[in-house]
Amino acid sequence: MKEQGLYHPSMEHDACGVGFVVKIDGTRTHQVVRDGVQILKNLVHRGAVGGDLKTGDGAGMILQIPHKFFSKVLKFPLPAEGKYGVGMLFLPRQGKDSDRAKKMIADQIAREGGKVLGWREVPVHPDCLGDMAREVMPSIWQIFATFDGLEGLALERRLYILRKVLENEAAKLGWGLEDFYIPSLSSRTVVYKGMFAAPQFDHFFIDLMDADLVSALAVVHQRYSTNTFPSWALAHPFHFVAHNGEINTLRGNINKMVAREGRISSDLFGAEIKKLLPIINLSLSDSGIFDNVFELLTLGGRSMEHTMMMMVPEAFGVKYHISEAKRAFFEYHAAIMEPWDGPAAIAFTDGTKIGAILDRNGLRPARYVITKSGLVVMASEVGVLDLNPPDILEKGMLAPGKMLLVDTAAKRVIKDNEIKSGIARHKPYRRWLEENRIELKGLLQVPGPVEVDQATLALRQRIFGYTLEDEKMILLPMAENAQEPVGSMGNDAALAVLSNRSQLLYNYFRQLFAQVTNPPIDPYRENLVMSLMSFVGRQGNLLDETPEHCHQLKLSHPILTNDDMERLRASNLASFRVCTVPMIFDATGSGGNLEKSVQALCSQVEQKLDEGYSLVILSDRDVGAGKAPIPALLAGSAVHQYLIRKGKRYLGGLVLETGEAREVHHFACLVGYGVNAINPYLVFESLADLKRRGHLSGKMTLEAAIENYITAIKKGLLKVMSKMGISTLRSYRGAQIFEAVGLNDEFVERYFPGTSSRIRGIGLEVVEQESLDRFKAAFQESRSNTETLDSGGSYHYRLNAEKHLFSPQAIVNLQKSVREGDYPTFKRYTSEVNDISKNLCTLRGLFRFKKGQPVPIEEVEPVETLVKRFVSSAMSFGSISKEAHETIAIAMNRLGASSNSGEGGEDEARYKPLPNGDSSKSSIKQVASARFGVTIDYLAHSRELQIKMAQGAKPGEGGQLPGHKVDELIARVRHSTPGVMLISPPPHHDIYSIEDLAQLIFDLKNANPEARISVKLVSEVGVGTVAAGVAKGKADMVLISGHDGGTGASPISSIKYAGSPWEIGLAEAQQVLVMNKLRDRIRVQVDGQLKTGRDVVIGAMLGAEEFGFGTTAVVTMGCIMMRKCHLNTCPVGVATQNPELRKRFSGKPEHLINFMKFMAQEVREIMAELGFRKFEDMVGRVDRLEVFEAVGHYKTQGLDFSKVLKVPEVPQGGAIRCVSAQTRDFSLSLDPELIKKAKNALEFKQPIVLEQKIRNCNRTVGTTLSYEIAKRYGLKGLPEDTIKIKFEGSAGQSFGAFLAHGVTFELEGDANDYFGKGLSGGKLIVYPPKSATFRPQDNIITGNVNLFGATGGEAYIHGRAGVRFGVRNSGAMAVVEGVGDHGCEYMTGGRVIILGQTGVNFAAGMSGGIAYVLDESQLFDTRCNLEMVDLEPVAEKEDREFLKTTIERHAKFTGSQYAKAILASWDEMLPRFVKVMPMDYKKAMAKMKEHQVKNSESAEMTEEVFL
Amino acid sequence: MGKSDGFLEYNRSLSPKRPVQERLKDYQEITKPLLSEEINKQGARCMDCGIPFCHAIGCPISNLIPEWNDAVYRGQWHDAYERLSLTNNLPEVTGRVCPAPCETACTLAINCAPVTIEQIELSIIEKAFAEGWVKPQPPAKETGKKIAVVGSGPAGLAAAQQLRRAGHSVTLFEKSSKIGGLLRFGIPDFKLEKWVLDRRIEQMNAEGVRFETNVDAGVSVSAAELKKNFDAILLTMGAGAPRDLKVPGRELSGVHYAMEFLTLSNKAISGEIKSDQIISAKGKTVLVIGGGDTGSDCVGTSNRQGAKKVYQFEILPKPREWKEPWNPSWPNWPLILRTSTSHEEGCERDWAITTKKFTGKDGKVHEAHCVRVVWELDKSTGQYSMKEIPGSEFVLQVDLVLLAMGFVHVEHSKLLTDLGVQFDARGNIQTNPSFMSSVPGVFAAGDTVRGASLVVWAISQGRQAARAVDLYLKS
Repeated sequence: MKEQGLYHPSMEHDACGVGFVVKIDGTRTHQVVRDGVQILKNLVHRGAVGGDLKTGDGAGMILQIPHKFFSKVLKFPLPAEGKYGVGMLFLPRQGKDSDRAKKMIADQIAREGGKVLGWREVPVHPDCLGDMAREVMPSIWQIFATFDGLEGLALERRLYILRKVLENEAAKLGWGLEDFYIPSLSSRTVVYKGMFAAPQFDHFFIDLMDADLVSALAVVHQRYSTNTFPSWALAHPFHFVAHNGEINTLRGNINKMVAREGRISSDLFGAEIKKLLPIINLSLSDSGIFDNVFELLTLGGRSMEHTMMMMVPEAFGVKYHISEAKRAFFEYHAAIMEPWDGPAAIAFTDGTKIGAILDRNGLRPARYVITKSGLVVMASEVGVLDLNPPDILEKGMLAPGKMLLVDTAAKRVIKDNEIKSGIARHKPYRRWLEENRIELKGLLQVPGPVEVDQATLALRQRIFGYTLEDEKMILLPMAENAQEPVGSMGNDAALAVLSNRSQLLYNYFRQLFAQVTNPPIDPYRENLVMSLMSFVGRQGNLLDETPEHCHQLKLSHPILTNDDMERLRASNLASFRVCTVPMIFDATGSGGNLEKSVQALCSQVEQKLDEGYSLVILSDRDVGAGKAPIPALLAGSAVHQYLIRKGKRYLGGLVLETGEAREVHHFACLVGYGVNAINPYLVFESLADLKRRGHLSGKMTLEAAIENYITAIKKGLLKVMSKMGISTLRSYRGAQIFEAVGLNDEFVERYFPGTSSRIRGIGLEVVEQESLDRFKAAFQESRSNTETLDSGGSYHYRLNAEKHLFSPQAIVNLQKSVREGDYPTFKRYTSEVNDISKNLCTLRGLFRFKKGQPVPIEEVEPVETLVKRFVSSAMSFGSISKEAHETIAIAMNRLGASSNSGEGGEDEARYKPLPNGDSSKSSIKQVASARFGVTIDYLAHSRELQIKMAQGAKPGEGGQLPGHKVDELIARVRHSTPGVMLISPPPHHDIYSIEDLAQLIFDLKNANPEARISVKLVSEVGVGTVAAGVAKGKADMVLISGHDGGTGASPISSIKYAGSPWEIGLAEAQQVLVMNKLRDRIRVQVDGQLKTGRDVVIGAMLGAEEFGFGTTAVVTMGCIMMRKCHLNTCPVGVATQNPELRKRFSGKPEHLINFMKFMAQEVREIMAELGFRKFEDMVGRVDRLEVFEAVGHYKTQGLDFSKVLKVPEVPQGGAIRCVSAQTRDFSLSLDPELIKKAKNALEFKQPIVLEQKIRNCNRTVGTTLSYEIAKRYGLKGLPEDTIKIKFEGSAGQSFGAFLAHGVTFELEGDANDYFGKGLSGGKLIVYPPKSATFRPQDNIITGNVNLFGATGGEAYIHGRAGVRFGVRNSGAMAVVEGVGDHGCEYMTGGRVIILGQTGVNFAAGMSGGIAYVLDESQLFDTRCNLEMVDLEPVAEKEDREFLKTTIERHAKFTGSQYAKAILASWDEMLPRFVKVMPMDYKKAMAKMKEHQVKNSESAEMTEEVFL
Repeated sequence: MGKSDGFLEYNRSLSPKRPVQERLKDYQEITKPLLSEEINKQGARCMDCGIPFCHAIGCPISNLIPEWNDAVYRGQWHDAYERLSLTNNLPEVTGRVCPAPCETACTLAINCAPVTIEQIELSIIEKAFAEGWVKPQPPAKETGKKIAVVGSGPAGLAAAQQLRRAGHSVTLFEKSSKIGGLLRFGIPDFKLEKWVLDRRIEQMNAEGVRFETNVDAGVSVSAAELKKNFDAILLTMGAGAPRDLKVPGRELSGVHYAMEFLTLSNKAISGEIKSDQIISAKGKTVLVIGGGDTGSDCVGTSNRQGAKKVYQFEILPKPREWKEPWNPSWPNWPLILRTSTSHEEGCERDWAITTKKFTGKDGKVHEAHCVRVVWELDKSTGQYSMKEIPGSEFVLQVDLVLLAMGFVHVEHSKLLTDLGVQFDARGNIQTNPSFMSSVPGVFAAGDTVRGASLVVWAISQGRQAARAVDLYLKS
């Protein structure tokens, strides 16, 4: 599908199920093929189908060349096996085009010296396909060819060259992937794939049914793509790999590969290597491009394992205990290639070896089983093949960063350690590094004194646009606290392109962030996987490895002090020379100088590199009269891109010495656009000046301030990277994880190619003008006598400074109107906000309605029905006060509209109506990453369940509620402890990918079949494709939030620089949903600084049916935009928990009700004027919007809204608004049957015992049953063990999710991911099949992310669990015999007993609850994150008794021999247990205990106790 | 910034006032400065609002209030001074006499007591003078353009200083003997001691502003000459024409305009005239007609002169009494009963009274004949109209009547007639948004344009007009 409107194919994401099956001894059987197909069919729920409900997103398989089968079916003779190549070809369907393609292929083969043996049209049954797939189905051919008796690797290389030649030839002829694509061309493997869902696979390819089609191995893949524009080529597997996940750093990887191409050489290819270029086919997906590079490296001489270690290196930071050789291997290769970063489970094969690897974060599941009879099955889920339990030798899973390999030639399974130690030692990498790596002496040590040119400081600050706000709100907090400053509320300042003030170029760039398709990382609690280290200098030949490859400067982070710069310049290595090029342009001319200067800069740098310099410093230190600085981002990116185009970027490093960069976002932009390191000298001078003027606290030395500042920037960079799920700076650099808002195509194409910029805007001339404006203002005569800076006004309102949507007068008028119920005052408020002559802050300000035939207002839908489309945006109880939260709920309920609980849980007392008939229940319940108080009861008491994927003010980030805000009530509803800090993780730990979201939607639908399910996204480029994925995941509503939404607390740079305006995001979502025929079944909501009826109507026309009000709603209740929510000092009692301040809350439900009604009234007026009687008739009517051309702002002239206002083509049977509903398939759900059988238990509490077979396709078992219980009995559920069900088999995902009290599930077999998610009081018992012979404690029995967000209940697991066990547990008790990495992360309550080894980073962010770990190796403390917890012996009687009795129960329930053995020698074992105790929790518990003793009559605890 | 919870920790506290008995004996300022630690705390009460309504809605000159509050809290007085001097040429004046609409707009005035902004402002500027930070700031470059500013009240002073600092040659014409206009002759010393003005004038002198006192522009120097010799003329002569009370007996001796009374008193205090040349209230029963600030100044001055008894009548009804520290009309100026320091010193105030006539003995006023009135809303026009209450007539024995009923407009002097500027319906000089009058090159600002208003508005206008003149001269 081509680019149209806001849809861009590069935004597609996919994820899925992946797997392989292999006979270790290499025996080829047809059964392996059948097994492969079976795996696919059992992973079908991980894939998706499109708008026609039939077209799958793709499935496929890599097999060994089936020589026997080919020999049978071909009408021409074949040479011996391995002496010919087979090409699988997707050619045009029409005979003529197909013939042309075939002729081209034959010609090229002849030219390349090959001989075509013959063609075979692959027989297929297209009848099973969906319409969308069939319409674009290619004709599928196989070609057979030989090359002069070549065989083995030599033949493979020949075929590789041939394929590249064919692809290049096709490209030359203008054939796209849809016209010409080669799934495989090899003498070893063949790929069958296409656009179908798994069950259609073997029906479509008849070959697969043939018993003679044999293979020893099969890699399979089921795709879930975020959209359905069908592409046969993009189905997996590719030539070598099948990938589940996402390569986030793709843009940077591509650029760096292109840059390296100039340097590639290899004896293996000789002169032919030129034919391989370009290495990367840019029309492919991330996985396809990964495959391109993987192929080059493996055929270029490295083994597959080696290549994987290079491209997907595991984390090797200091916190990992790995061998020096391995660490050296990774460091050495860091100088050659950056990681291809992002969540990834990759299966790969060359036909002989087959393996799989997990990325360093381990965010995709990869379970494997090895059987005694010599089969290895690896897949995203366990239970995809029925294996005989006694035959099972081992059940395992890939740990983060680990690899598994089966070598069918050697007939062995090779584990990670053996693979990596072998490769790490095959060259003396450690010695190479020691001898070649450059580490300038003293570099990056404590900064020395800073020289300040006091006389010109203020002048230079002004030249670079410094304001007082920059100093006080950015620099000082960073220098004082070593972290980014925090702010609150949303960003209502004008967009850069609409601002009248001179803007730095950075302000036109918005940070992208991960939502749904891949998870963000927690840069604080999980920073062990992250790294800012990089190598800078001249890079070597990619296909070679020599000691000189690492003869580069090693930087542990990219911020250089002034001393570092001096040392760099002073270093005098002949082999590593450093030079400086001025980054200045002539400010005296009439314009146009900037362009010339940038050009000159590029060629100067090129020349320096040609002269042999390895490091070029671009410096603006020379600014002064007549000499203006080239905007650093422009200079950096321009040079970087220029060098890439010239194929010279690998020749040296690029360091910026600039007075301009000061905020985290600035550094992120610079690095993101390719700069290697930055020296922000003016920041250091400013800090010195601030110190001199007494702004730094007394004891703080300047050196400490600078160190703190650098630390803050480092943390900030980690945060920006982590938002996108990127772990290393090496791969973040140049990855361009930004979109531009307000830059024109020509400018972007030239200096920031590859960046999306959807509404065009300004170009180089305006950038120059803005620079010169700053420059001239700095020299203004009237300013000569004062050194003080401009106020700024972009964070806090200042008159005559940056515009803000909420002007002071607007707030006053709004509050007056709703308090007095005075509509004319409300109109004054809206006209103030809408007045673009004064207040043009948003894109919608530039829109206007096309005139229509007015209708009498009486005929327009009444206020009463219109307000039902309005919701209050999610604000948690905790971020705002109880009074404010309940006032909102009451108001919305009175209107018959909905309020949103936010992510803080809800007091069940609110589920009952108030005496006066009001209800303070929030009808929308949010399910956010922390799952605070998300119990089955909470879920059952709602009309809508909203999954918050991102929040406008801080997309891609988590948050935390400081301990002092957590009072008794908040703690109770959040299931935590008063006074103890609460952390919201950045990702949902049950959503790492789109198919996981579909799973959570499925879970929630099970948890409350009555509620609709919605997903909250934040506008950014590509949000449309994500929305399509959400629609395919069967959500009922998708919410598109603007970047400017509010927050209780968020880093200032996130408030300002992440995400994009909702106008673009909403339009994109609407267009993609409509074009994909998905819009008819999903509703769309929008929020983000909606202020007036005009905003609502524009939202409707752009495609929204519903509207959320956050900031505006709280303003009606008294908020005056203090922006101090994060400090708990809200003086009007809205966003505070301080009891004194809460008394000042003066909001009334009537205020909000008046607001909503006024809003509806204004909407009605506009509708009448435009001629709409029904609101729904306006939805999606983008044709009724136009751009208000008369706005004569010099910056807005270049804006082009044609993509935003594009009217999408409506496919047949599609719609532009929601007219139907999602269809859901519960056919594999067990709950309906269980509920039927448990009827008496449900109604009369009669105990019942049931038995049930289960397999991995039976997902979310027990959840609807629990809903039925919660509906009747609330959270307390049924008496223990009322419903006991014994399951046998491999349980599907989310087994026992939200299981209610009174239900006991016993599972003989094993379980997949999300076992016991949100456990709400039920009991789970799992043990391996009784007939199994493996040792359960050494094998994986349950998957990843068990008991995530559990609030109560018990779990007994006989065997090991995967990674992230017990994350955000707040009340469940669990026993398990071993866990993977990140166990008990963010836990706030409950108890966990681990009778075996844990992975790394145990207890990170754990602020409550207790874990007991059996630490037999005495190494647990090295794997535990000790930041928030203490390790103690199990000394107290209470603990000892708890531990013993619980393990006894475990032994009893599961029959664990292991547990019995521990109990048998209890006195010996007890001292080996370690108690993991969160420090704050301990203090809070002690305090509570003390309090309880004092008030023996157990009076209710008051908040004061915890303040 | 500020201290995030400072407003919860510290209470609003104002400078102590000298005891009434003490202050009645002299004309010195009434308040005593606070210790700087106390001021630090008062600064700490500022919450550094996301929207500082004090700055954005309250203060006519958009003082960067949160910025200097924060600096004061942190003890960075020099920074505070820098921020303050960015917007205000006369903080030592506004710090003393401004009614502080910033404080009624302070966010803390929603439900608590506002920050003592005015007092902090005064502390900053006094500290700056004491530390020698207030230095002349002569322009770096001369533009060679010449500007005449006519009238040296707050608008003229602010404009002259701004224009001079922009490099223009500025001549400030004042018809009185000393610079300062209403600040010097209208406001009594107990509110604003006159050395305060001299200190600022000295700075302006050093910056190169030329002061021409005793020059009645339009008379001593003709309008034509001004036009010839200057590139631009800025008229800032205030709204000098007082509102008269045209009733029988107005001509009696002992009935004076307030401004006559105050000017003479001020001149006597500064020694410009002898103490027997004033209109004295000594031993007299004084009736001040008009309930505004000028009236209040008359009350304070009369008491200091030794009046026997002072009455103050206002024609409008008594505003509502409001004892709370917060503002019921936040962020707008509340219409509530205000008691000035002069009222504290002794005065009988009454409201809704109109004076019908004066009668006298020997040509001297002896009795004021008054009647009570009610104000009724005419629903059709939305206007209030006044109605006398039959039978409420009363007579007050008086020796001195001071008419403090406000000002109607600028005096329509020869200068204005000769220049030919147009007036608006109210008699003020008509200007366009760039402060230019109907005559090209002739600008006007302050009360001359707006009618009588606050000092801080005059400064605001003066500064804005200066910018307009500067742009005009550059174009």
